[in-house]
Amino acid sequence: MIPIRSYLRLFSGYLRPFRRTAVLLAVVLFTAIGLQLVNPQLIKAFIDGAIAGDDFSSLVPIAVAFMVIAVVNQGLMVWATYLAEQVGWSATNQMRVDLADHVLHLDMGFHKSTSPGALIERIDGDVTALSNFFSSMIIKVIGNAVLILGIMVLLWRESWIIGLTVSVLILITFIGLFRLHGVTVPWQKAIRATSAEMYGFIGEQIDGTEDIEANGATGYMISRFDAIQRRWLPETVRGWTGWAMMWSAAMTLYFASLAVGFVLGAWEFTTGALTIGGVYIVLQYIQMVHRPVEQIREELIDLQKAGASIERVQELFDRESQLTRRDSRTLSSGPLAVGFESVTFSYNDDGGKETVLDDVNFSIAPGRVVGLLGRTGSGKSTIARLLTHLHEPQQGSVQIGGHDTRDIDLVDLRHRVAMVTQDVQLFRATIRENLTFFDPTVSDDRLHEVIERLELADWLRSLPNGLDTVLDSGSGGLSAGQAQLLAFTRVFLRDPGVVVLDEASSRLDPATETLLERAIDHLLEDRTAIVIAHRLSTVHRADDIIILDDGKVVEAGRRKDLATDPESLLSSLLATGMEEVLA
Amino acid sequence: MSDKTAPWFGKVMWELIKRQPGRYALAQTLWITIWSMQIIVGIIIARYFDALTEGITSSQLVSVVAAMFAYAAGRAVIIFFGMRNHGSLLFRAGALMRRNLLGRIYELPGAAAMDESPGEVVSRMRDDVEHVVEPFDFSVDITGAGIAGIISFVILWNIDPVITVVATVPVIIVGIVSNRTGGIIRRYRIDARAATETITGFLGETFAATQSVKVAGAEKHMLARFSSLNDVRRSMMVKDRTLTAVLEATFRNTVNISTGLILLLAAGRLGATGSAGISIGEFALFVYLVTQITETAYFYGMFVARVKQAKVSVERLTDTLAGEPWERLVSDTPLYLGESEFMPSETRQAPAPFRVVEGRGLSYHYPDSDAGINDIDLEIKRGEFVVVTGRIGSGKTTLIRTMLGLLPAESGTVVWNGEVVDDPSVVLTPPLVAYTPQVPRLFSMSLRNNLDLGTGLTAEDLAESIHIATMTRDVDTMDDGLETMIGPRGVRLSGGQIQRSASARMFARRPQLLVLDDVSSALDVETERTLWARLFESRSDVAALVVSHRRAALAMADRVIVLEAGRVVASGTAAELESSSDEFRAIWAGTPNGAQVLDG
Repeated sequence: MIPIRSYLRLFSGYLRPFRRTAVLLAVVLFTAIGLQLVNPQLIKAFIDGAIAGDDFSSLVPIAVAFMVIAVVNQGLMVWATYLAEQVGWSATNQMRVDLADHVLHLDMGFHKSTSPGALIERIDGDVTALSNFFSSMIIKVIGNAVLILGIMVLLWRESWIIGLTVSVLILITFIGLFRLHGVTVPWQKAIRATSAEMYGFIGEQIDGTEDIEANGATGYMISRFDAIQRRWLPETVRGWTGWAMMWSAAMTLYFASLAVGFVLGAWEFTTGALTIGGVYIVLQYIQMVHRPVEQIREELIDLQKAGASIERVQELFDRESQLTRRDSRTLSSGPLAVGFESVTFSYNDDGGKETVLDDVNFSIAPGRVVGLLGRTGSGKSTIARLLTHLHEPQQGSVQIGGHDTRDIDLVDLRHRVAMVTQDVQLFRATIRENLTFFDPTVSDDRLHEVIERLELADWLRSLPNGLDTVLDSGSGGLSAGQAQLLAFTRVFLRDPGVVVLDEASSRLDPATETLLERAIDHLLEDRTAIVIAHRLSTVHRADDIIILDDGKVVEAGRRKDLATDPESLLSSLLATGMEEVLA
Repeated sequence: MSDKTAPWFGKVMWELIKRQPGRYALAQTLWITIWSMQIIVGIIIARYFDALTEGITSSQLVSVVAAMFAYAAGRAVIIFFGMRNHGSLLFRAGALMRRNLLGRIYELPGAAAMDESPGEVVSRMRDDVEHVVEPFDFSVDITGAGIAGIISFVILWNIDPVITVVATVPVIIVGIVSNRTGGIIRRYRIDARAATETITGFLGETFAATQSVKVAGAEKHMLARFSSLNDVRRSMMVKDRTLTAVLEATFRNTVNISTGLILLLAAGRLGATGSAGISIGEFALFVYLVTQITETAYFYGMFVARVKQAKVSVERLTDTLAGEPWERLVSDTPLYLGESEFMPSETRQAPAPFRVVEGRGLSYHYPDSDAGINDIDLEIKRGEFVVVTGRIGSGKTTLIRTMLGLLPAESGTVVWNGEVVDDPSVVLTPPLVAYTPQVPRLFSMSLRNNLDLGTGLTAEDLAESIHIATMTRDVDTMDDGLETMIGPRGVRLSGGQIQRSASARMFARRPQLLVLDDVSSALDVETERTLWARLFESRSDVAALVVSHRRAALAMADRVIVLEAGRVVASGTAAELESSSDEFRAIWAGTPNGAQVLDG
C-alpha cells in the first residue's frame, strides 16, 4: 500500500550524504517519544502519592519533573521537525536538479510530445510529494506509530483488558476512517478540479481584457464565471460535509474509547487491580492516542498518493535520449566547414511518406555565407535543427568542421554553432540574465560592447534599471522586434564558427531591419553562415544559394552565377519581383 | 477621491455578514454550542472520578456512559449541519469578492497595464480573498471559544480562585506567542509560495524554450539558477515548518505547565477531605478546563494574526480595484448561484449607420516613460481603408488602443458621427467597432464559443466569418470542427490559426469599423491579401483601420498615416507619400524586393 521499496530505490542515493543527520534525527525523535510516554506515569505517582498522604516535599519534585520533561519533550520534537525538513528538502532539491538536467538533455522528440506544464508537475510537483513523503514518513507516521504502540504497551501494563479493548477500537477507527476517506476522495478531487478551472479562467480573462472588452464580451464572460461558481458551490458544501463525516466518525470512536475506559477502569478499580492514579492515566492515554491516529490517517493518504509520484519520477529518469552522443571530437576555432552527405530525415522514426529531407547533399566551405531558400515546409528549418544536433538523420551524415555531429562533443558543438530562430524565448529575469542565458561569467563590459555594436545602447539607456531591468514573462514587455534584437545579442556574445539565421528578421519592420543589416554583416564576418529565409532580399548578402523544394535540393550554386543565368530558378524568382514569392 | 487605506477590519466583516445574515447567525449559534458543550465532557469526567472515590454504583456508571454517547450523538448532528451551513457561508463570501474584482477588471481600460502581472492578480483573487474569508470564518470560532473560555474560568474560580489564576498565567503566553508566530508563519508561507511560484515559472519558461537552451548550450547555467532557486525555497520551507512545530510545541507545553502548576498547588490538598481539599474529580476538571482555556487563548492569538493578514489583503485587493473604494469589494452583486437563476441577457440598441469616426488631439504616454503618442488627429470615413505605419516603437499600437479607449487618453477626444464619445471603451465596441490586437488572445473553450461569445450567431454567419478569415480549411481538418476545445489561451492552435480565429471573431461581430493590429508576424502575404480581398468583397461598406508595414496593405490604402516617435509625420496615399515623406520612403524601401538581390 505504501510504496516504501520503490521509494528507497529512488531516494536512498540522495539520502546517503545525510546519513549522520538521519541517525541524529532517529535518536532525537525516539527520545522525545519516550519522554512523552513517561510523563503521565508521573501524574499517576503524584495522585497515588497524594491519596496515600505523602508529604509536600516528596510530591513537589514530581510536579517539577513533570514540567521539565514536558518542556524538553517539546523542544526535541521541534528539533526533530527541523532535521527532517532539512534532510527532506536538501535531498529532494538535488533530485530536482538531476531530474531537470536529465530532462534538458533528452531529445527534442520527447520535448515536442511533453508539455512544459507536465514537466513542471514531474520535476516540482512529484518531487515535492517525495520530500513530504520523507519528512512526514519519519515524523508523523513512524513517530506516531511508535507513540501509539508505546501507549498500547503502557495500557496493557495497567490492565490487559483495557489495552486489548482500546487496541481493537483503534483498529476499527483506522478501518472506518479509511473507508470514509474512500467515499470523500472523489469529492475533494472535484473541488480541486473546479478550483483549477476557475483560476485558469480568471488568469485567461486578465490576460485577454483587451480582446474581451473590444469585442463586447464582458457580459458573456461574467456569465461563464457565474456558471463555474454555480457548479463550485455544491461541490464545496459536499466537501465540507465529507469533512464533517470524518470528524464525527473519529469523535464517536474517541468517545467510545473513553466510555470503555470509564467502565473497565471502574471495574478494575473496584477489584483493586488499578489505583485511582491508574484509572486517571488510563483515561489520559486514551485521550493521547486520539491525535496520532488522526495524523497517521491523514499522512497515509498522502503517502498513497506519493506512490504515483514515485512511479512517474522513476519513469522519467529511465527515459533515455534518442540522440547518439559520442563526444569524441572537438571543433577547431575559426569558421567551420559544413556538409550534408546523403541526409534523409523524418520526424517520425518509421520514416515513410513523412520524409522531410530526402537524400540531401551539399557542402559549404569555411567562411562562406549561404542563402537557403524554399517554401514553408520545404525542410529549411529541419536543416538548421540537424546542424545544431537537436535531431539526427536516419540516413547519411551531417558534418561540421569535418566531423559527424554525432561524434562532436555536444557542449563544444552548441558553443560553436549558433542559431537564431523567429521565435525568441525570454525569461522572467533581468535583461542581463536573458542575454547571457544566466551565465554569470559574462562581464558587463563585454555586454555593453555587444549592445553598442548592435545599436541597442539607446534603448538600454531608456530602461529604468539598465541591464538589471526585469522582463515580464511572455512577451517580456518587449515588441517582437526588440525581442529579436535581444536574440541577436545572445549570438554576438558567443564566438560561433557557424551561424544559422532561421528567418531571423521576419518579425522586424523593414526600417529596423535595415538598421540591423550592418550588425549582421559584422556577425557573419569570418564565420560560416546559413541564412534561411523565404524573402529574397534577406539573402542578398549570400555568396551561395541553395534552393530546397519538398525536402530536395533543387538548385545550388554561387549567387552571382545563378542570378545572371536566365535558366536558373533563382533568376526566375527574381524576375517576378514579388517580395515574398516563396512564402 | 477614493479612500485607498484599508478600513478597520470589523467594517469589512460587517459588510460580509450583512450579505448573508441568516447563514451567519446560524453559524454563530452552532459554533457557540459546539465550543461550550465541550465543558460537559469535563464535568462528566469529574463526576466519574468523584463517584469512583466514593464507591461507584453500576447505575452511576451507566448514566456516565449514556451521557457520553448522548453527547457524542448530539455533537455529531451539530457538526454535520454546522459544516454544511459553514461551507456555503464561506464560499458565498469568497465568491462575492471574486465576482466584484472581476467586474472591476473588465471596467478598466483593456490594454492599460495593471500594476500587477496576470499571475499576481490571479494569486490575489485566490489567496488574498482566502485571507479575508479566514478571519470571517474564525470569527464564529472566536465567539464560541471566548464564551467557552469564560464559562470554564468561572467554574474553576468557584473551585479554587488561586489555582485558577496561577494556572491561567501561562495561557496568556500562548495567546501572545500564537499571535506573534501566527503572523510570522503566514509570512513565511507566503514567501515559500512565492518561491515555489518562481521555481515553477522558471521551469515552465525553461521547458518552453528547451530548443533555445540546448542550442545556446546553456543547460549548465540554467541548472545552476534552478539550484539556487531551490535553495531559497528550502530555507523558507524549513523555517515555515519549524516555526509551525514551535507554535504547536508552545501550545502543548502551556497545557503541560499549567497542569504542572496545578499539581504543585494541589500538592498536600489533593484527596484531602474538607473545604481545603481538592478531590480527584476536581483535579481532573481543572486539567481538562485549563486545556479548554488554553485553546481559547490559542485561537484568539491566531484570530488576531489572521485579522492583521486580512487587513493587508484588503489593502492589496483595494489596489486591484484601481481607484474604487474598498466597499466595492464586498458590494452587493447578484451571483446567480441557484440552479434556477439565470443571467439576464444584455441587449443593445441597433446603432445609427456609421459615417465617420475621428480622434482629435489624442495623447497617451506609458507610465514612467517618454514612449507614447502626442496630439494625434485621425479620421476614418465609411468605406475607407486606412493604414497606420511606422517603425518599431513609433506608437502605432498605442494610437489604436487610445482611440478605442483600451488605454486611457491623457488628452484628446474621440468623435463618432460628429458626437463626442465619453467612454470609447464602452461605445466603440461591437456592433459598432471590433478589434483584433497584434497578439490576440483566445480562451479555453470551444472554437465556436470563442467566435460566438454568447451572441448566438447563426451557422451561416459563422461560416461566412470563418471564410473571410481564410480559416475554413483549418476548421474542416479539426477533429471536432467548431466544437474543438482549443485549450488554455488557444494552445492547441498554431500561431496563424489563433490570428485567423481572432480575425473571424472580429468579422462575426459584423462591425461597421474593423480595427486590426499588425497581422504580418502570423499571416503570410498571400493569406493576408486573400483576407482583405474577401473582406471587401462581402462587406463593401465597412471601414478598416489597420496597422501594417507590408506593401500589400500600404499600396491598397485609401490613406496611409506615417508615425514617427509618437507623432504623425505624413499622411496620404502610398503614391503621394513616396514623393513627400522620407520616413515613408525608408519604410517602403526597406521592404524587400528583387532588385536588391541583383544589386547586392
